[in-house]
Amino acid sequence: MSRTFTYYLAVLDGAICVYFFIRLLFFAQSRTVQNDVVQGVLIGFGLAFVSAQAYARIKATKVNGWITMFGLGVPGNGMLLRAAHAQLFPGPVNVPQEAMYWTTTGDGAGHALSGKHDYIMHFPPNGLPPNDAFWSLTMGDARNHFVANPINRYSVSDRTGLTPNADGSVDIYMQNTAPAGHESNWLPAPSGRFILWMRVYMPGATILNGEYKVPPIVKI
Amino acid sequence: MISNTQHLLIFSGICIAVWLLATYLWPRMMLSVYKRAVLVKGFGDGPIPINTLYTEPQKLFAEPLVSQTASGSNLMTVGVNHDTLATVGWLDLSKGSQVLHVPDFSDRYYSVQFTDPSKNINFAYVGKRTTGTAAGDYLITGPGWKGTVPQGMTQISSPNNSVLVLGRVFVENDSDLPTAYCLSKQIQLTSL
Repeated sequence: MSRTFTYYLAVLDGAICVYFFIRLLFFAQSRTVQNDVVQGVLIGFGLAFVSAQAYARIKATKVNGWITMFGLGVPGNGMLLRAAHAQLFPGPVNVPQEAMYWTTTGDGAGHALSGKHDYIMHFPPNGLPPNDAFWSLTMGDARNHFVANPINRYSVSDRTGLTPNADGSVDIYMQNTAPAGHESNWLPAPSGRFILWMRVYMPGATILNGEYKVPPIVKI
Repeated sequence: MISNTQHLLIFSGICIAVWLLATYLWPRMMLSVYKRAVLVKGFGDGPIPINTLYTEPQKLFAEPLVSQTASGSNLMTVGVNHDTLATVGWLDLSKGSQVLHVPDFSDRYYSVQFTDPSKNINFAYVGKRTTGTAAGDYLITGPGWKGTVPQGMTQISSPNNSVLVLGRVFVENDSDLPTAYCLSKQIQLTSL
């Protein structure tokens, strides 16, 4: 389920809840207790979804177009936060100390990522994600599936032989066709929309305290 | 006759109760999908019996485009992950404690995550970050367990008799896959 779709679903759901609530306030003459119970259950469920979605959007950390959340899977994180986590990162996800995840479907300027364009992600010198295990940047298509490509590369990482620039910075090229002269730093994109996942396992202290910023995806 | 105010009170009371309940149960409902995937559907080789571990086949990792059409649940390959090989299992500790054995990973990154499925929180980890990469045996006990931990074992107390176990073993590259798979298969469960 795409994030935009979920968003519209939450808004629609919220509107339906408000409609029923107003109708109840002003047109209660012909009500029965059965109405109260049935509508209470339905609207209660609806509100749970809307509030979890809203709280997820408040608690999500957005930097340079990337979205992450802290406190996933941590004991004592609270029922509201757990419901919110389930919206953006559904599944038994790692605690932050074990792994941090960032995801984006848009570039740094907020436009949807698409293989119709070419993109660069620029890590400044010594700017690769600090970690004690590994990091990776993985490509998914519009349905969050791996993308078929001529070099069978599905992710770039600390072990795929990225070539640094002369000043030690690293550029990753995300595009549908191979970038001439930069094949080693190519993360093949599909022809249509795509999603990116950044993973850092055993992340360094500057990631956990929020100092480290994942660089934006820049359209070229 | 019931007045408008009473209608409003009944409605609001039920609404708030259901809202709280649904919010509280959301992670449990989500993880029940995983429970069904493990115990009922499996990941291509049939259901995974309770208190056993299953490692995703090498083919699933090596040919990520083909694997998406494999039979069984696709939950293990949901999301794009080309870093770690997954091992999963569902524990029921009500009939007794389980022993998790991990082999020597000789500095390779791995983790075994223990998740309480009622809240989707990870109450314990075995792995490079928490326990190191040497071989070891861990006694997983349910709530209220009384007994002596056998010598040489470390106890992991679960707050719930149901536990989702999720192992992740780092794969350096395609040629490293058989080694990673072999190590993953040596993460094993036995009853005490």
